[in-house]
Amino acid sequence: MDTVTRRKFLTMTAGAVAAGAIAPILSVDEIAEAAVNRPLAAGTPILVMLTLYGGNDGLNTVIPFKDPIYYSSRPDISYKPENVLPLDAELALNPAMKSLKVLWDQKKVAIIRGVGYPNPDRSHFSSMAKWQTASPAKHINTGWLGRWIDSQAEDSMLAISLGSILPPLFAGAKRSGSVLPLGGLVIPKGTMGANCQQLAKVSRADSSLMAAAATSMRNLFSVSTTVQPILKAPAPVNPDLPTVNGGNAGGDSNLAQQLDVVAKLIAAGSPTRVWSVSLGGFDTHANEANAQAELLGVVSDSISRFMGQMKSTSRAADVTMVVYSEFGRRVVGNGSQGTDHGTSGPMFVIGDKVNGGFYGDQPSLKNLINGDLAVTTDFRDVYATVLESILGSPAEQTLGGWKGRANFIKS
Amino acid sequence: MNAKRMEIARLYHRFGFGPRPGEFEAALKLGVDATRSALTTIPATDAGALKVAEPKLTDLGPRPKPNTAEVIPFAIGLRNQSEQLFLWWLDRMALSDHGLTERMTWFWHGHWATSISKVDYPLTMYKQNQTFRKFALGNFGEFSRAMLNDGALQYWLDGQDSTAKAPNENLARELMELFILGVDRYSEDDVKALARVLTGYQLVKSNGVVTFNQKRHDFSAVTLLGSTKVFTGESVVDYLVARDDCAKFIAERFWYRFISSSDAMPANFSSVKALSSRDISQGVVAMANDSAMRDPRYAIVKSPVEWFISACRALELTPSLLSKSTQLQGFLNKLGQIPFSPPNVGGWPAGEAWLSSASAQYRISFASWLVNQSSLRALLEIPVDRRVSQSADWLGVAEWSARTQTALRNSSNPQEFAVLALCSPEYVVSA
Repeated sequence: MDTVTRRKFLTMTAGAVAAGAIAPILSVDEIAEAAVNRPLAAGTPILVMLTLYGGNDGLNTVIPFKDPIYYSSRPDISYKPENVLPLDAELALNPAMKSLKVLWDQKKVAIIRGVGYPNPDRSHFSSMAKWQTASPAKHINTGWLGRWIDSQAEDSMLAISLGSILPPLFAGAKRSGSVLPLGGLVIPKGTMGANCQQLAKVSRADSSLMAAAATSMRNLFSVSTTVQPILKAPAPVNPDLPTVNGGNAGGDSNLAQQLDVVAKLIAAGSPTRVWSVSLGGFDTHANEANAQAELLGVVSDSISRFMGQMKSTSRAADVTMVVYSEFGRRVVGNGSQGTDHGTSGPMFVIGDKVNGGFYGDQPSLKNLINGDLAVTTDFRDVYATVLESILGSPAEQTLGGWKGRANFIKS
Repeated sequence: MNAKRMEIARLYHRFGFGPRPGEFEAALKLGVDATRSALTTIPATDAGALKVAEPKLTDLGPRPKPNTAEVIPFAIGLRNQSEQLFLWWLDRMALSDHGLTERMTWFWHGHWATSISKVDYPLTMYKQNQTFRKFALGNFGEFSRAMLNDGALQYWLDGQDSTAKAPNENLARELMELFILGVDRYSEDDVKALARVLTGYQLVKSNGVVTFNQKRHDFSAVTLLGSTKVFTGESVVDYLVARDDCAKFIAERFWYRFISSSDAMPANFSSVKALSSRDISQGVVAMANDSAMRDPRYAIVKSPVEWFISACRALELTPSLLSKSTQLQGFLNKLGQIPFSPPNVGGWPAGEAWLSSASAQYRISFASWLVNQSSLRALLEIPVDRRVSQSADWLGVAEWSARTQTALRNSSNPQEFAVLALCSPEYVVSA
């Protein structure tokens, strides 16, 4: 299963966790008015969640390049010390992550080590559900950001996920985030358009799924009216990169495209506070080295390009990006030049608000738990900090009384 | 809602791919019991299915080296055969007189979800599909043994890389989690033990032929789910299938795909007991008779392929004759579901995941594209003043809501009427 596309795990976890009820959406006129007359207030923090589907191998991302156990555990797929990008005396970034290293050197990258949850689950689907719901012990139907959406004033532009399928992350009990496919939406016009809007009306007899079908049609009219003109505009320029034929030089990828759309919408003042983008393909059971390096290169370059684009807007200081995957991989290679499912892994938090550096303890390669890395930081520590220090919301309503914090945001 | 109409509509849309024109009215006259029995009894021959020619697939052999002259014909061969395979299956779904075999083949494809995106070879995927069809309503134990020797599944889950020296856990884990037992019904040690038992399989990727290489196999005894012994691939599959969790798990998957993807399966769901024989047809018949089929709570969303095929049947369209197949593939891709390309080993999602604003848009363009290629014979035969009420019978919809009736009444153009009906919440969702 090494050819996982961006949508793959998204669709599966969406099936595993039913989305919450969808609230009535504002009328077309109200939303259009909001986008034009009520852009996001200057200085409002913006969060971008980047999900890496498939289980990113943390040990080959943040590499313990001085540890002999690292080399003896995975001789086929370890990186030589001379090739890695050292971050300190013990840890280094994967050689493909040069652009991220530049941001690290600017103190804009926090790396939280050994992140996971108690009793790690090695199923992609269960583990991703735990990460997205922030409920490792009990299966629930709402995502941690979905519960945050529930706590905010209703606005279909508040939280937007790129792609055509809603991730459980954004499913609330009362309402959910919106989804936006790459390329935007084309809404039917004329009598067909009018009749589709009639089909989108609430009917008292609707089952919850029929109501959701009607709502999805309503959302098509509300979200697309606001977003469409903005999507047609050019993406913001990254002043740090040389331009070729008027566009930024640099690799193209689906992740880069998703982030381009996010950059355009942020630049236009979209009243959106949380975004979700994703990249798949990290399930490297076989022939890992090239596959993972290529993906990490895409991640690193796309983030750097996006953060650069933000500089040509007035929002550069407001944007924070959080990167995670459903689990790390087994310490010992499996003989197919790959690794099987493991436990904890590093998270990245990137932005001007971030106090760059390491957080959490690096899991020891000496003291493994059944051959796997220990979890040294609970993901709820990170989420609570994101909620309080980035989104400025109490963590209580989303994470209950969770006490842990990871202080990677400048005070 | 009229109970009889609801149950007959469910039988048509869940145990087949929707009614063809006239079938729903006829079933209403027959009554629920006779309809259920007809839809769940496989006829000796299926004239509709026989009209669909088998795809002409050949063994294309190993991939030629890059930048050689052989690469281009090889790539064209792969592409042509993939297209044939894709259209062949869609045609079988749309043209079969009796829907249940194709419907169950489709279910099993989502269960043992294997994608051509990694397997590459249409011939190998076709052989797997034949196994799904052969065992669609057969014995789950024999089915599972056949799947262990399925080249597409072995390649998809790295079975050919798993050796005694270095077992790969991919196939072992998914065999327990997603195919036979269900998540959390085994331990991590069981995954490791099963991975050792499943070492030694090798295959020819281009034709799916699986062989067993003793030199790569771990012959030692393992402790698996409480028993310590030397297992073979076949005996370990039998051992897993014999566990009570297997019947429960298959019933859960039936429940999830046919009854409700949002409510949990009740413990007394009839398929659990019926599957104690591991006879799939008994499980399916029990499900069709279960009281859940009469419970209005259990609506289910049609997946994009289910929606598309049921539209083809109502519009009397043949998928392979649509103009043109790349566009068809494009629509299904945008809606997120292409046969032979499940998103991952867990299969496709269900329920609200199919109901985003993006999919609402794509469904409207897709329906317009289909309706423009149809004669709309069945719809045009209905007198205009009865179009709204009788179109529910045409499509096998239990009941139009007042909202949808208004939209349909507003629509004087038959093409637009058909598009709206196909995109209505009542058609997208099986009530």
